[in-house]
Amino acid sequence: MAVNWLRTLASRRSVPVFPVLGMQGDELLQQLVLSPDIELVDSPRHASVLLVAGEIPADRFEFARRVHDQLPSPFTTLWFRGEPWSHLENATRIDDLDILPTALVTAYSELMEGRRESSPRILPDKPPNPWEGEGDFGQGGEGMMGGVPYGRPMAMNMENDIRDGLTLDSLTFRLGPFFFAFPPGMSAEITLQGDLVQTWQTQLVPYPQSLDPVFFTARERPVPIAEIELARARHHLHRLYRGLHLAGLEGASLSALRLAQNLSTTSTLDGLRRYLSRSGFFRLAAIKGGELGPEQARRIGGPAARAAGLDEDLRSGDAGYRRLGFSPVCQTGGDTCARWWQVLAEIDQSLHLARQAERDDVTTSELGRIETPRGPWCAKRPEDASALFDELLPGLEWGDALATVASLDVAGLADQPVGTRPSGESRAIRGGTGNDV
Amino acid sequence: MFSELFLPVLMVIFMLIVGGYAVAVLDRLVASALGTSQDGGIWLAPMARGAWLLTQHANATEAPDWRAWRLAPALYLALAAGGLAVVPWSASLVATDLVTSVVLWGSVEALATVVIFLHGWSANSLLALIGGYRYVALGLSYILISMFVLIGVALPAESLQFTQVVASQAELWNVIRQPLGLPLFLIVGLGMTFWGPLNLADSTDLAGGTASEISGPPRLVWDMARAAMLVAFSGVAATAFLGGWLGPWLPGPLWMAIKMLAVLFVLLLLGRLLPRLAPERCVTLMWVVLLPLSFIDLVWAGIGALL
Repeated sequence: MAVNWLRTLASRRSVPVFPVLGMQGDELLQQLVLSPDIELVDSPRHASVLLVAGEIPADRFEFARRVHDQLPSPFTTLWFRGEPWSHLENATRIDDLDILPTALVTAYSELMEGRRESSPRILPDKPPNPWEGEGDFGQGGEGMMGGVPYGRPMAMNMENDIRDGLTLDSLTFRLGPFFFAFPPGMSAEITLQGDLVQTWQTQLVPYPQSLDPVFFTARERPVPIAEIELARARHHLHRLYRGLHLAGLEGASLSALRLAQNLSTTSTLDGLRRYLSRSGFFRLAAIKGGELGPEQARRIGGPAARAAGLDEDLRSGDAGYRRLGFSPVCQTGGDTCARWWQVLAEIDQSLHLARQAERDDVTTSELGRIETPRGPWCAKRPEDASALFDELLPGLEWGDALATVASLDVAGLADQPVGTRPSGESRAIRGGTGNDV
Repeated sequence: MFSELFLPVLMVIFMLIVGGYAVAVLDRLVASALGTSQDGGIWLAPMARGAWLLTQHANATEAPDWRAWRLAPALYLALAAGGLAVVPWSASLVATDLVTSVVLWGSVEALATVVIFLHGWSANSLLALIGGYRYVALGLSYILISMFVLIGVALPAESLQFTQVVASQAELWNVIRQPLGLPLFLIVGLGMTFWGPLNLADSTDLAGGTASEISGPPRLVWDMARAAMLVAFSGVAATAFLGGWLGPWLPGPLWMAIKMLAVLFVLLLLGRLLPRLAPERCVTLMWVVLLPLSFIDLVWAGIGALL
């Protein structure tokens, strides 16, 4: 009786959801974040619903299964535009974004009220690598420090500290591809000494990201500049949301998302920029470091390159933009802080251009050469630049390193716009069995 | 027997529960006033969250230090209870009116470092461990400032007893007598309770830090302990700087509650408005700016006591 009462009360809270993002899965996040009935959480331990969004590529399948088993019981799983694993009997598949929040609430209520079984564990309840227990001290190998207990190297100082000579035990670990602060799909092997990144190796590159269809249309025919600039501002606002969430500015991050959702030519960024400036985001938060050299900046292109002072923007060559008096905005710092200033400046500029273009009814004129929010798209689409992290992040503290990751839009461009299904390059495994570990 | 043993215990338990609930409600009120979307009704949501954690299983990680991992939230709650026990609600209504209650609060601050590290370390998990290390690295700087500031309020009282500290403010509250004290102590509070801009142990960049791996009842205890510690800190701040129960017209305990709520409101508002400080900048701020300011506060208090 008491348990029933507790469960009924528990079902009244917002639904704690941990998203496992597959290809094109992140497009739904912005909608879910603004839903008052949903709480997106950063750790699977804090969730009761696992949302597998999009198709999970084969090489991330094993990671997804591990995340699945990390949710505390009772929990349930929903698949959004992806095929549920065949051995999960209660799995629900949803394809319509509009009904997803309701489906999440329903699944959670049913789970809490006992009308839905908790998802079964799919991996055996034992360490992925057995404890070897060898050596003089049971450390799992020969000699005092020779072991790899549980298949992982022991925390010990193999390298000198790269900052101040205070050598602490180094800790090597792998993170991703579903870590909330990484671009979707990315994983890395990282060595930390204390709070300091000693080495960083990107192992799985992020999924190619999809852009608004207007950028694809603009390569085929002229499109209204107002439309393309609003799409650009929206893309940057979504990135700003991630950066502010990471910095602990929950209210401001939601403001950025709300602005993106209701964006029009009458929108203005003034309030948000004033708040960020006054709250000390640019002075106090962990957004130091991550400075790109000219060659690195050119490799990534787009706003990150302009934040490093490179005056390159394909819009300068477009007659429509020239009519509006366009000239690229740039910063000089090239670091994380400069990139966030650049993002704010570009959003502002896009809104300004959109207003002007709407009033004068101006369209684009250049077809083959498009400046996307990710960077220039001429003959080739902007490609993945996540290898930059390997050079950029060593030497940074953990908070600064993650802020640098959030400030850099490194994922390459997908060959299809938002809202279309992924192509052959992202073939997914359908219906795993749980026995093939 | 009843008034010496049971009454203080009941009083502390009452404050743990009501205080924890008050923090949850007040934080949601602040959030909704600032336009941050929140779950459900403001009054019901904390209870729904508590019920959810009670129905959820406590998960395991790979080879945690079980005893320490389960004990750490309870120990932190016990420390918060210890802090609440020395907060006086009136000259006579105080759970334990120790002659060294200021020292006891100091020990709560110091032991919190041990417990928070234990919580992060014992999960045997990466992000929790970093959270624990961060707290230890920063904890010393908060505690030093706190000690200087509290010695400052003990000087005019010529006592280490919180009831005497309140009595010494009958003519002039310490917030005016020692203008640097309360601002410094509020920053200490944010650091010590790892809240808002100084939440480096359970931060978003660590997916919840020391709490990133916990679920179910242990998480409920941890959340309650954090809220209770914030209440205990507000009680100490109201006692040390805002004249405790002193005030006209209203009964003493009511004045105390109003002052504690005011301090809580300021802390929660700062928590919602400011970004999380970079650890490196935080250490620099503490040692280079705030610690010298706390020396000045102490010298100021000493001169005031001599005159």
